[in-house]
Amino acid sequence: MFKKILIANRGEIACRVIRSARKMGIATVAVYSEADKDSLHVSLADEAVCIGPPPSKESYLVADKIIAACKETGAEAVHPGYGFLSENAAFSRRLEEEGIVFIGPKHYSVEKMGDKIASKKLALGAQVNIIPGYNDPIDTPEQAVGIARGIGYPVMIKASAGGGGKGLRVAFNDQEAHEGFASCKTEAKNAFGDDRVFIEKYVEEPRHIEIQVLGDGHGNVVYLWERECSIQRRHQKVIEEAPSPFLDDATRKAMGEQAVALAKAVNYQSAGTVEFVVGGKDKSFYFLEMNTRLQVEHPVTECITGLDLVELMIRVAAGEALPFAQKDVRRIGWAMECRINAEDPFRNFLPSTGRLVKFIPPKEESVGETHKVRVDTGVYEGGEISMYYDSMIAKLIVHGSTRDQAIGRMRDALNSFVIRGVSSNIAFQAALMQHPRFVSGNFNTGLIAEEYPKGFNAVDVPHDDPAMLIAVAGAMHRQYLSRNATISGQMPGHEYKPGSEFVVRLEDGGDHEVRVVPAEGGWDVEFAGERYEIRTGWQFGEALYAGTINNAPFCMQVERRGLRYRIFHWGTQADIMVLSARAAHLQALMPKKAPPDTSKFLLSPMPGLLTHIAVHPGQEVKAGEVLAKIEAMKMENVLKAERDGVVDKLLASPGESLAVDQAIIAFA
Amino acid sequence: MQEIIRQLDEKRELARLGGGQRRIDAQHSKGKLTARERIELLLDEGTFEEWDMFKEHRCTDFGMGETKIPSDGVVTGYGTVNGRMVFVFSQDFTVFGGALSEAHAEKICKIMDHAMKVGAPVIGLNDSGGARIQEGVAALGGYADVFQRNVMASGVVPQISLIMGPCAGGAVYSPAMTDFIFMVKDTSYMFVTGPEVVKTVTHEEVTAEELGGAVTHTTKSGVADLAFENDVDALLMLRRFINYLPMHNRDKAPIRQTQDPAERLDMSLDTLVPDNPNKPYDIKELIIKTVDDSDFFELQPDHAKNIVIGFARMEGQTVGIVANQPMVMAGCLDIKSSIKGGRFVRFCDAFNIPIITFVDVPGFMPGTAQEYGGIIKHGAKLLYAYAECTVPKITVITRKAYGGAYDVMASKHLRGDVNFAWPTAEIAVMGPKGAVEIIFREDKSDPAKLAAREAEYKAKFANPFVAGARGFIDDVIQPHETRKRICRSLVMLRNKKIENPWRKHGNIPL
Repeated sequence: MFKKILIANRGEIACRVIRSARKMGIATVAVYSEADKDSLHVSLADEAVCIGPPPSKESYLVADKIIAACKETGAEAVHPGYGFLSENAAFSRRLEEEGIVFIGPKHYSVEKMGDKIASKKLALGAQVNIIPGYNDPIDTPEQAVGIARGIGYPVMIKASAGGGGKGLRVAFNDQEAHEGFASCKTEAKNAFGDDRVFIEKYVEEPRHIEIQVLGDGHGNVVYLWERECSIQRRHQKVIEEAPSPFLDDATRKAMGEQAVALAKAVNYQSAGTVEFVVGGKDKSFYFLEMNTRLQVEHPVTECITGLDLVELMIRVAAGEALPFAQKDVRRIGWAMECRINAEDPFRNFLPSTGRLVKFIPPKEESVGETHKVRVDTGVYEGGEISMYYDSMIAKLIVHGSTRDQAIGRMRDALNSFVIRGVSSNIAFQAALMQHPRFVSGNFNTGLIAEEYPKGFNAVDVPHDDPAMLIAVAGAMHRQYLSRNATISGQMPGHEYKPGSEFVVRLEDGGDHEVRVVPAEGGWDVEFAGERYEIRTGWQFGEALYAGTINNAPFCMQVERRGLRYRIFHWGTQADIMVLSARAAHLQALMPKKAPPDTSKFLLSPMPGLLTHIAVHPGQEVKAGEVLAKIEAMKMENVLKAERDGVVDKLLASPGESLAVDQAIIAFA
Repeated sequence: MQEIIRQLDEKRELARLGGGQRRIDAQHSKGKLTARERIELLLDEGTFEEWDMFKEHRCTDFGMGETKIPSDGVVTGYGTVNGRMVFVFSQDFTVFGGALSEAHAEKICKIMDHAMKVGAPVIGLNDSGGARIQEGVAALGGYADVFQRNVMASGVVPQISLIMGPCAGGAVYSPAMTDFIFMVKDTSYMFVTGPEVVKTVTHEEVTAEELGGAVTHTTKSGVADLAFENDVDALLMLRRFINYLPMHNRDKAPIRQTQDPAERLDMSLDTLVPDNPNKPYDIKELIIKTVDDSDFFELQPDHAKNIVIGFARMEGQTVGIVANQPMVMAGCLDIKSSIKGGRFVRFCDAFNIPIITFVDVPGFMPGTAQEYGGIIKHGAKLLYAYAECTVPKITVITRKAYGGAYDVMASKHLRGDVNFAWPTAEIAVMGPKGAVEIIFREDKSDPAKLAAREAEYKAKFANPFVAGARGFIDDVIQPHETRKRICRSLVMLRNKKIENPWRKHGNIPL
């Protein structure tokens, strides 16, 4: 076994690999860019080597620097994680030449699977289902239309080198095929420098289901069941689960066996993933591509099989044979993963960067070796989320005996995941977790686009049980009043006595009368004829309000904002006031103020430094004209006019630090 | 006998109606509460003891003899806020537009005199059209009587003004002399002369809101400390604010129970100060993570944002927080921030509230605007305030403490009791770049040489240890233990007693 390995990656996956290596008694070397010098993976590793400036292409993607770091530290092998150099055959070949082991598949396997068209041909030879289509590059639009007709509409036009949704068109008729071919070719050329384009059958109600395979250097390949990754936003996976709620055992076995056959055809000797598209109407499945690396979503497979994929990768890379056969592979319960991204779901998922003012992930729980709640992350409270890398900051994985139990656990875990300072997609994940289509298992890759066509808004997550919010707000307010009653300097004999009757006012206008009385270890709240016995050790200042309501555990996130209590729960954000009956009556007399009209302002989309204002008061501007420049995280962001107008006033001046949503320019 | 008692009830009922139902409805339709409703929300339920309900004006001119309304446009008395006594007057806009008469002023003076006698805060809820013109000089005299009491009470009992309607002309000077001014957005305004006069005299077209609304005074002028959305928000937040204040100048800062451990560490503070000395960070994160329960009551949050002031608690006891804000103008001191900080420090000193100062200051703001504006005298206000101050003073330098601004920000030399520095602190006459350009003027043409000098200077002076070696810094502390170290220092200082020499009063550079 290796004595020391280097992890050529960053973030959660670097931490994840270090965890397994440490368990195996292997020393670890981290590499880091200048932007990552205070990152978690650097402090977790036994040694760390700086490999250059922040941009990946000057650091994490530079093979020479990784190899030099190996030599400098004496690392015998490199785990590439995912992304970066993980599927770079040239890199693994270089390593081989230098006598360093690549913890991953052999470079020839990577090379063969790296090209979409070549891999299809290989799959065909290995008796793997291939999507009906034309697998040679197509030259002219006319040829494309002919082929499309032959396959039968709808068809998909794809760039050979494409990925991540780029270079992809769907055509339902000749005209669309003609146009799609041309634009796809141009896009492919620009994006990848490779304008080869092919056409295939477009699978309706497609589901993305992939098979995890694992091979060794002794000719063994097994499959570790499937993962369903159909919940995607713009072709980016959002939620993954294993097993798939859609597959039956026969399909599962057929897919698994085809995946193994394909892996064997390239002498695959590591962990890999064979991706299939599965027709939601007929369970037909077709090979898409093989990912010759460890996947982001590998933990769900680990949960249901009880295996450590990273450990197994390291073992087979060191020449060991797989310690089990296909028949030994277990499949227990249900696992699910939510990708936690630093992005703002309410602002069209704009990536969010900056300081993690608060970061409290849910407590990891496990029974024996099996995780019930697992958090893979590479960040920490007080850390910085930089704009140079992926916005995924954590993976939240849960395991339950059934799918429903897993969903329940995920909802609880999301409730207790505190992230402040940067925005996160937790509310969106929580909304998905309670979406009827997701819960029923009846979905396909179009779910997010279909259900949230106008993006994600707060109204998309009404609370299932507002009584919980009302009861907790009532209890919090009563606790606040009790604490006030402890203040020094009160008039003897005339001390303050908190009342017990309150009106809980929800933001959307609903008033609810509650009665709150102190109880042993909490508060009893009576509301609408029901009694809520809240038991909690919560204190002011704590972000998590956890405890039980009528003996059922719950956890909410709370903030006091002036007179309002802001509660986050199950994806809902509620601003609640708790008032005496009299105050509630008087408050109702207060005018409702319309939120300020911000359409007449240029607002800063992010916190940053205002470096330049390109206009002056009185100037007419046309839509698209440059108005100002903001430097955020060393990157210049150009703000342009959204519509024609006249500049009225400048509200900020160059050199000023801007908060998000701060007004920069007012228009007349 | 029964009849007399019944009559009293009737009289009270009539007085409570103020200017009558029609005017009450008009007040409500403007989004405003009545004088008595406001008191109800401000005080603990059922604790209001009203005085002078039957007081009436004595004016007979212009038909005033026939229009007498009991209480005469202001409701006065005392009650409790969370069990603690406060005196309150609440002007009643439904009665003569809340205009101040001689009798009206007498009522205010009466509760102020009592507040001074017993040592309790005075809270004014202002909603008045101005002087009662029919009374002429009698009303003006009334104002001055109130002004005189404002001054006598200053530094003896806390005085808070909540502006809930118009407050114009001479009337503004009573709130102006109180310790804090809060305003209600859209329904309150304060100015010395209104928009019409402004137009005649200076030909400026300006609305009342722009000239003296809550937003104007909490952003541009700094006259007001906070602006609230409406009457209810303002009054309930005022209750919360009063919790921070002692009753009078011989009282200790109040203590309210907390479960937040004094020894709590916060590891995330170790990464608060960025590596790049020119990169800003939010000093409020340090404040919020240091004080009890993350509860910080900030004042003037939108004015002179380069300095942050407000109240918080440490181990339950009120403290005043003053902090340079690197997010705004790099946290430098200028005219507005010096005035803002200086006045707050003096309030804390007057009322025995310990002051915690977080320092990250690159110096005073340069420029003609500042010099012509008198930064010398205004900056001196903050210096004077800190130097004169005898309450416990704890200072934490997080990063820059350069030049004269280092001295000003509660330094050891200004009788700072406990002066801490983070390891990231740079205490020096100026930043390395500027310093090197002066000391090594001859190397100016040689950037390489200058860079080497700068590195040398940085290594030597851009740290807290030079100051530590002289005892100007009592200890260099880990950022994560900031709360713990401050709490311990505050306990140590609990019985601090020093006195300034006797004098009539100092001569702060006004």
